[in-house]
Amino acid sequence: MASMADRVILVCTIIVAAIYFYATTLIPTLEIGDPLGPKAFPRLIGIVLLIGAAMLALEIWRERAKAAGKGAGVATFDPAVVKVLAVVVIWIGLYFATLERLGFVLATFAFLLPMMAWFNRGKWLVNALSAAAFSAMTYWLFVALEVRLPRGVLPF
Amino acid sequence: METLTHILNGFNVALQPINLWYTFLGCFLGTVIGVLPGIGPSATIALLIPVTYGMNPTSALIMMAGIFYGARYGGSTTAILINTPGEASSVMTAIDGYQMAKNGRAGAALAISAIGSFIAGTIGIVGLTLFAVPLTSMALKFGPAEYFTLMFFAMTAVSSLAGKSPAKAMISTILGLMIATIGIDLQSGQPRYTMGVPELQDGVGFVIAVVGLFAIGEVFASMEDMTKGMRPEIIKLKGRIWLTREEWNRSVKPILRGSVIGFVIGVLPGAGGTIASIMSYVWEKRMSKHPEQFGQGAVEGVAGPESANNADTAGAMVPLLTLGIPGGGATAVMLGAFIMYGIQPGPLLFQNRPDLVWGLVDSMYIGNIMLLILNIPLIGIFVRLLYIPGGILMPLILAISTIGIYAINGNPVELYFGLVFGVAGYVFRKVDIPLAPMILSLVLGGIMEQSFRQAMTISGGNPKIFVGSTICVTLVALSVLSIFLPFILKRIEAMGARVGTR
Repeated sequence: MASMADRVILVCTIIVAAIYFYATTLIPTLEIGDPLGPKAFPRLIGIVLLIGAAMLALEIWRERAKAAGKGAGVATFDPAVVKVLAVVVIWIGLYFATLERLGFVLATFAFLLPMMAWFNRGKWLVNALSAAAFSAMTYWLFVALEVRLPRGVLPF
Repeated sequence: METLTHILNGFNVALQPINLWYTFLGCFLGTVIGVLPGIGPSATIALLIPVTYGMNPTSALIMMAGIFYGARYGGSTTAILINTPGEASSVMTAIDGYQMAKNGRAGAALAISAIGSFIAGTIGIVGLTLFAVPLTSMALKFGPAEYFTLMFFAMTAVSSLAGKSPAKAMISTILGLMIATIGIDLQSGQPRYTMGVPELQDGVGFVIAVVGLFAIGEVFASMEDMTKGMRPEIIKLKGRIWLTREEWNRSVKPILRGSVIGFVIGVLPGAGGTIASIMSYVWEKRMSKHPEQFGQGAVEGVAGPESANNADTAGAMVPLLTLGIPGGGATAVMLGAFIMYGIQPGPLLFQNRPDLVWGLVDSMYIGNIMLLILNIPLIGIFVRLLYIPGGILMPLILAISTIGIYAINGNPVELYFGLVFGVAGYVFRKVDIPLAPMILSLVLGGIMEQSFRQAMTISGGNPKIFVGSTICVTLVALSVLSIFLPFILKRIEAMGARVGTR
């Protein structure tokens, strides 16, 4: 069904293994004391990853034999969903970027409100109250627990 | 005798007001996150690690264990009322529990899962109390080669049992090991795979990985459901949370059987609560005189699996405490917490810190009583959590995850790492790559490599050391067996299906 996705995983796994092997050669070694050095274990798991890829190839091959003639499967990723999630990821990135400058309370409020407005549409009052209460109360709580959160521009 | 004294002294620790409070807090949080979608025990325990830095480790671990077993209680509530398991291990409860709720027996289903969980949880802890010490005396004989093969066994077991595809589980395991190799190599002092990023020199924090994969990734998955306009239907809770004598009589044996299955599965690495509850369900259906009632609201189908997945939590603590080797995702995070507090679980911990070990174990007896109270008279309060709109809850979980990651080092760069893990977690979930093996190997990777190199140093580079003792040979044999287990299981399933149609 999702054998297209499986094929992509296979290719990605092989690419990851290749990059990992290459990066392993870049580790500088000084042969003192430790007979194996820092490269041996990575080489070993790199090989096991390739074995995993081979197993996946086998699974794909078997699935294909089974599913032959059943037609194309369902797409794993729905473009409409991917679009929404991409915006969410960018929005989270912006939140992280402004967290220290604006401070936890303001940045979190500014992050939460539009997110809630989108996913919990039309309930402005509830959304605004939840976002404000959460930002202020968690800040207070974590400061009380002596966890450092960025204070930012607010004076308290 | 000495052990008995330690066990009883453990109650002194567990009954201290402060520890009672943390037991309660853990159980309460566990129930809450068990009910809430989008966040589970692994992510919650990871998020709490920075908050608990200054705390007494015993109290912190008592709370984390409470979250671990408390979530199993909460998970059944959503399974019964909205047909969605709050935790993966409640997946079997949803089948008959939801049907019971539709037939107007929601109260009975909730009651039997709480009572079954309580009985099974307690039986499991008795098992933990009895089996822990004999295992530690064996564990004292473990050298680096034995530890390496043990971890190897844990990983093969987890990868062959997690998810549908053994190959993907194996890839997931290795990716975890690869991430674990990032950072400065402890033996040679050489940086590995850091790509010149200073934040990577100490390696990728497992808290970041867990929060990203399990919390942020889960939020993305929920947002997908919301975008597609899926909304679960919540069955209103009517009447008392109690059951009839007949329902109770039908449940006693499934509860006891489920307890044993759950505990045994819990002790073994890899399988975990989900498999325990599936096995219990299949078993009960087989034993039943009315197998046709299963799927239509059979109380045995709730009692057995719910008991099994709670006994599993106690069983899972056995290898974690005695060997220092977790068998699944949540216990792997707990191992990470132990290490961050500077405590190495294992046989020596039982000798050096009996107060911590037995305080923790004994707190679980108390926690189960608390959970029974939280889940029968007070369940109505937790059910209200189901009415929080996902559109509000999911952004809040993102903000909580942000705090959790930021609080570790106060470094915003790590937040982006968390986001990368979140996206990866979402994609992996979509393409059926299981996440638990990755977390397990990420936490164990460092220790595994160290014991590998130590063993090779001892043997002068001869890999024969890994089959050089009876323990090693047994563990290697078990690992090989567990690699072939999925194929054997498939055969058995096929046989079962044939028997079923006859």
